[in-house]
Amino acid sequence: MESSDNVYSLYKCRLLRVYSLTDEEKLFLLRFEDSDIAESWSFIPGQFVQVALPGVGEVPISICSSPMRRGFFELCIKKVGKVTSMIHKLQPGDCVGIRGPYGNGFPMDEFEHSDILLIAAGIGMVPLRSVFMYAVDNRWKFGNITVINSARYGDKLLFRKELEAMRDIAEAENIKIIQTVTRDPEWPGRVGRAQEHIKDANTDPKNSCVAVCGPPQAYRSIFEKLIEAGYDPNKIYVTLERRMKCGVGKCGHCIAGSSTFLKYICIDGPVFGYYDIISTPGLI
Amino acid sequence: MRYLKLGSRNIDEFLGRISNYGDLYAPQKISEKFYDYRKVEDISQVEFNYNRTITPAKKYFIPPKHEMFEFDMETGEYTETMGDVKPFVLFGLHACSIVALRILDGVYLNEYPDKYYAARRKAGIIIGISCLPDEYCFCNLRRTDFVDIGFDLFLHELPDGYLIRVGSERGHEIVDENMDIFEEVSNDDIENFKKFEKKRHEMFKYEGSFDNLRYILELTENSPLWDEESEKCLGCGNCTMTCPTCRCYDVQDLPDIDGKHGKRIRFWDSCQFRSHGLVAGGHNFRETKKDRFINRYVCKNAYFYPLGTSYCVGCGNCTYFCPAGIDFLKNLIKIRDVVGEVAHGEQ
Ligand SMILES: Cc1cc2nc3c(=O)[nH]c(=O)nc-3n(C[C@H](O)[C@H](O)[C@H](O)COP(=O)(O)OP(=O)(O)OC[C@H]3O[C@@H](n4cnc5c(N)ncnc54)[C@H](O)[C@@H]3O)c2cc1C
Ligand code: SF4
Ligand code: SF4
Ligand code: FES
Repeated sequence: MESSDNVYSLYKCRLLRVYSLTDEEKLFLLRFEDSDIAESWSFIPGQFVQVALPGVGEVPISICSSPMRRGFFELCIKKVGKVTSMIHKLQPGDCVGIRGPYGNGFPMDEFEHSDILLIAAGIGMVPLRSVFMYAVDNRWKFGNITVINSARYGDKLLFRKELEAMRDIAEAENIKIIQTVTRDPEWPGRVGRAQEHIKDANTDPKNSCVAVCGPPQAYRSIFEKLIEAGYDPNKIYVTLERRMKCGVGKCGHCIAGSSTFLKYICIDGPVFGYYDIISTPGLI
Repeated sequence: MRYLKLGSRNIDEFLGRISNYGDLYAPQKISEKFYDYRKVEDISQVEFNYNRTITPAKKYFIPPKHEMFEFDMETGEYTETMGDVKPFVLFGLHACSIVALRILDGVYLNEYPDKYYAARRKAGIIIGISCLPDEYCFCNLRRTDFVDIGFDLFLHELPDGYLIRVGSERGHEIVDENMDIFEEVSNDDIENFKKFEKKRHEMFKYEGSFDNLRYILELTENSPLWDEESEKCLGCGNCTMTCPTCRCYDVQDLPDIDGKHGKRIRFWDSCQFRSHGLVAGGHNFRETKKDRFINRYVCKNAYFYPLGTSYCVGCGNCTYFCPAGIDFLKNLIKIRDVVGEVAHGEQ
């Protein structure tokens, strides 16, 4: 194991469980090999790690589990290219290198004592699952909670079964779970884009924090719907994505924004507030 | 600040003495037109009067290509490879180059300090030298034409030697250990220093400040200038490679032929390359040449808060080395002075 004074040092993690969520996305349960790191490692929902496979490369992946579970964490990875395809071939017992956590994460302290509205489109459910699980693990700190999970097709809804299985506990705990699809004629449930279901949330617009994660092209219309429904723009947060190589503000790939607001998505983000987004050309 | 004088007759001796502190690198004439920092084998090759080098001093702190780790594909372990970082002396940096290194410090030694950079920065002694601007220089508009910190020693040209400012503890040590070659500064030296500064100041082509530029730039992202200028751009990346503050890098894991081991290397990258913003699935955050062209202007003119200057130090390299003849400064002046051709937000 490398000494930790090198920010690029990787820590070995063993895969304990590999589970197919859809035909493209797998969920991985990981554990640090080194017990000291397992003990001390913690993160904030919305943060990400760099996952490395020697000889293949390194990719940024959001942590999708609750930080309440020490030493273990989950990653949901979509197979899209070189590194992610190799990760998909791994079996329980195999190892990967991990460094992080990186990024600002969602301001969970600020979320306390308010209702929480989570709006996810597609792979956007990944970081929001961490927020959701954390809120459920600390139920007494938060008000009502709504999760809107959306995808094109029913079998592409990430964590669909898990969310369905939570129906009873949700009812008992003032949690509303809305799953909707946009293109699936076979789907028996709700249809339409995530923002069309904001009106059915159990959250009080006057006292809510909102976290949105999905393709940035959808953000403007989601903002419109939220503001129309009376949500406070100051309490709307989104996550952004860019190509990343370092995760620590060095390699320059994730730089975005304009000359008055130049930001590193990896360290200044990936979570940004509504006003940052609307006042900065080039962020979305 | 501590001031000393180095008389003309002691200059060679001075170069000899500082090379006792580590390998000496300095600007040298490498061809008819060009200068570059090179290892000094013969002190008569050291160039005191040059305008710019073909590679910036950043190469000594972030090498164009270097190894970060060795890895073992069977055990999955990465082992750090620091390389051979020996003490060295970097002689002859202009003020803008020293500010540029301080900007890189802000990036590389932030809350996530880069060990490779830190080790090289610690190993390097920095000796600055005064300069006279050519038509490409605009460090005065960037307020980087005079430097207060970031060097161990700084030499200011006098008719009969150099006035030396001592800028660090290490600088004091070097001076103390070699007092026999230095003299006290006389009133004439001070007058001559002032004369040099005045002459230098009068040689800058433009006056004023670029502090409002980043706002104007943001407001004119729809100006036709961007279409016209980016059309000419070849996307070669010379502008970023020669920029003393551009420091984008890429990383690759290169397996050895045995298929079991390999090296993780990093190497300079450029936002002018198409691959820079490309992500899986083919989406590109800087899709067109124009996007990439504007990106450099936006990035370089953004404010670097820790120093209170822009990321651009006004060295003129990007213009001087552009094969397409694109003039960075002229474009900025056009943007600043022709305000509001098309307002921000209109398409
Ligand atoms: C903050 C953040 C969080 C992310 N969270 C997740 C997640 O939870 N689950 C998930 O499946 N994906 C996530 N991604 C996207 C994921 O990083 C890319 O899909 C992945 O890098 C693709 O790598 P590849 O080698 O398979 O693809 P290739 O196309 O072969 O990419 C080659 C290299 O380019 C870079 N790269 C390519 N695409 C991206 C990208 N979209 N973002 C950043 N770097 C890229 C990587 O360094 C990669 O190794 C996240 C991206 C970011 C920036
Ligand atoms: S040096 Fe000139 S031609 Fe090359 S990428 Fe830069 S602006 Fe374009
Ligand atoms: S942008 Fe051009 S003028 Fe400014 S520091 Fe870089 S190379 Fe020099
Ligand atoms: S990922 Fe390297 S600077 Fe952000």
